[in-house]
Amino acid sequence: MSLSHSALEKLATFRANNTRASQETFKNASTVLKSFKRLGDDGWAVLEQLFLASVDVGRLDVADECLRQLGKQFPDSPRVDVLTGIRMEATESPDVVLEYYAQLLDADSANAAIWKRKISVLRRTGKIEKAVEELSQLLDTFYTDVEGWLELADIYTSCNQYIPALQALSHVLLLAAQNPFYQLQFAETAYTAGDIPLALKAFLVAVEMSERDLSDKSPPVGISVRAWLGVKLCSRRLLLNSSPSASNTVVPKNLHLIEELATERVLGVYSSKSSSTRAPEGRDVVVGWVGDR
Amino acid sequence: MSSNNAVSLYLDPQIRDWVLFPITLVMILVGILRHYVMVLLQTPPKSLPRAALREQRALTRSQVLRATSANSPIPPTYYKSISRHLSEAFDAGTYLKDGPPKEGDTPKMPPNPMTDPAAMDGMMSGMKTQMVMMVPQMVIMGWINFFFQGFVLIKLPFPLTLGFKSMLQRGIETTDMDVRWVSSLSWYFLNFFGLNGLYRLILGGDNSADSSRDMTASPFGAQAQAPGQAQDYSKLFKAEKDNLEFSEGIYSWVGEGVEDRILRRYGKI
Repeated sequence: MSLSHSALEKLATFRANNTRASQETFKNASTVLKSFKRLGDDGWAVLEQLFLASVDVGRLDVADECLRQLGKQFPDSPRVDVLTGIRMEATESPDVVLEYYAQLLDADSANAAIWKRKISVLRRTGKIEKAVEELSQLLDTFYTDVEGWLELADIYTSCNQYIPALQALSHVLLLAAQNPFYQLQFAETAYTAGDIPLALKAFLVAVEMSERDLSDKSPPVGISVRAWLGVKLCSRRLLLNSSPSASNTVVPKNLHLIEELATERVLGVYSSKSSSTRAPEGRDVVVGWVGDR
Repeated sequence: MSSNNAVSLYLDPQIRDWVLFPITLVMILVGILRHYVMVLLQTPPKSLPRAALREQRALTRSQVLRATSANSPIPPTYYKSISRHLSEAFDAGTYLKDGPPKEGDTPKMPPNPMTDPAAMDGMMSGMKTQMVMMVPQMVIMGWINFFFQGFVLIKLPFPLTLGFKSMLQRGIETTDMDVRWVSSLSWYFLNFFGLNGLYRLILGGDNSADSSRDMTASPFGAQAQAPGQAQDYSKLFKAEKDNLEFSEGIYSWVGEGVEDRILRRYGKI
C-alpha cells in the first residue's frame, strides 16, 4: 500500500474535526488518487477531502480528476452536485454559478447545502442584502443550524449592525448554551453595540462558565483571560460614568468589588510567579493599562 | 436404555447430502437474494419541499427555547422577543405549510391515508418489504413440507431435556424418540432464526436478509409511526403556544446575580 497508515489516520482526524489544513491534506492525500479503490468505502471520503483541499491550494487539475471519479461512482448524488458547484466557483463567473445553484434549488427546494453555497456566493460578490435575506429564510427553515446563525451575526457585524447581530447570537446561545466562546462573542458584540451593562453581565457569565473547573487560586487561562479583561474594561467604564442599556440590564451594586477582583485576576496572569522564567509578553502594557485610572 | 435406542438409529448419509445441505444452502441463498431484491426495491427517501420541512421543524424552535428557560443563556429582552414572536406566529399559523388559514375556511379534516398519495407511498413500501419477506419463506416451507415431511436430518451432539421436543421434532409425532434428533421442519426453523449471524458476516452490518427480524413488524404498524403523516400541525402549534407561556413563567437569566456568585467564589463578599 502506497499510503502509510499514519497519513490515513491524520486525514481521518482532519475529517472528523473539520480542519482546513489544506496544504497538508493535499500532500497526504494526493497519493490516494491512484490507489483509493483499495481503501474501500473510506476512499470516497478521502477523495472528497482531497478535492476540497486541492481547490483550496489551487491545483484544479487534481480537483477535476477527483470530481470525475466521484461523479462516475455517484451519478445523481446531491453531495457531488455541491462539489461541482464549488469547482465552478473556482473558475466560472458568479452569475453562471448562481444560475447553476438556482437550477438545483428548483429541483429540490430544501437542499440546505446548495442553499448555503448560494448564500456564500452572494456574500462574496457583495450582494449583502440578498445574502441576509436568503440566510434568514434558511434559518427560518433550518433553525438548528448554529453555523448559519454565526454567519448571520458575522454579516451584521461587518455592516456595523450590532443589535441584529446580538439577536442572531442570542439564537446561537440558545442552541449551544454550553459553549463559553459564544458567550464571549455575545459579550464583545454587546460591548461594541454600546450596551455596557449587558456586556459586563455576559463577560461574567463567560468567566463563570470557563472557570468552573479551575482550582481557586490558579490564575485564569485561555479564554477566561480575555473574559476577565472584558470584565475589567466594562466595570471601569461603568465606574467612570453610567451608560444607558438598550436591554434595560441593571448595573450590579458592588461594581467596585468586581473591578477590584478583575484587576487582581488579570494581574494574576501577568505576574510571573517563578522569577526564573521570562515575564509573559506584553506584561508592561497590561500592567500599565490596569493601573491607569 | 435411551442411549441404546439412540445408537440403534442410523441415518442414511444420502439424507445429509440431499436434504440437510440443500435446505441450508437454499435458505442462505434466498436470504442473500432477498437482500439484493430489497436494495433494488428501495425507493430513495422522498425530499420534502421547503414549506413542508419548515412546518415540520417549527416546533423545534420553541422546544430549543423552552429547554433552557429555567436557566436561560439569553437576557430577558431577547428571550421575551423570541417567545412573543413564536407564540404570535403559532397563533396566526405562519408556519403552516399552506400559509395562515383564511377567514371562513372550514377546519380541515385529517386526510384519509388511502387517498393521500404521500401516505399511500409509505404504506406501499411497507407492503413490498413484507411481500419480499413472506413469499420466499412460504415457498420454502411448502417445499420442505411436501418433499421431506417426517425426515430426521441430524443428531445434535449434546443431550437436551424433553422440553425441546416440540421445538426440535416438529412434524414427527412420536413420544419415545430421543430429543437430540432434529426433524426437517425444525431444521428449517433453526435456520430461519439462526442464520442472521452468517448474513452479517457475508453482507455486512445492516443487511435486509434476515427475515425473522421483521416478522414482528406489520406494514400497518410501520405506517402509523411514519413522521408527519396526517399530523394536524395547527393543533400542535396551539398546544405549543401554551407551553411557551408556561416557560415564560419559569424563565430566569443565567446572568441574574452572576456577579454575586463570582464574588462569593473568590471570597470577596
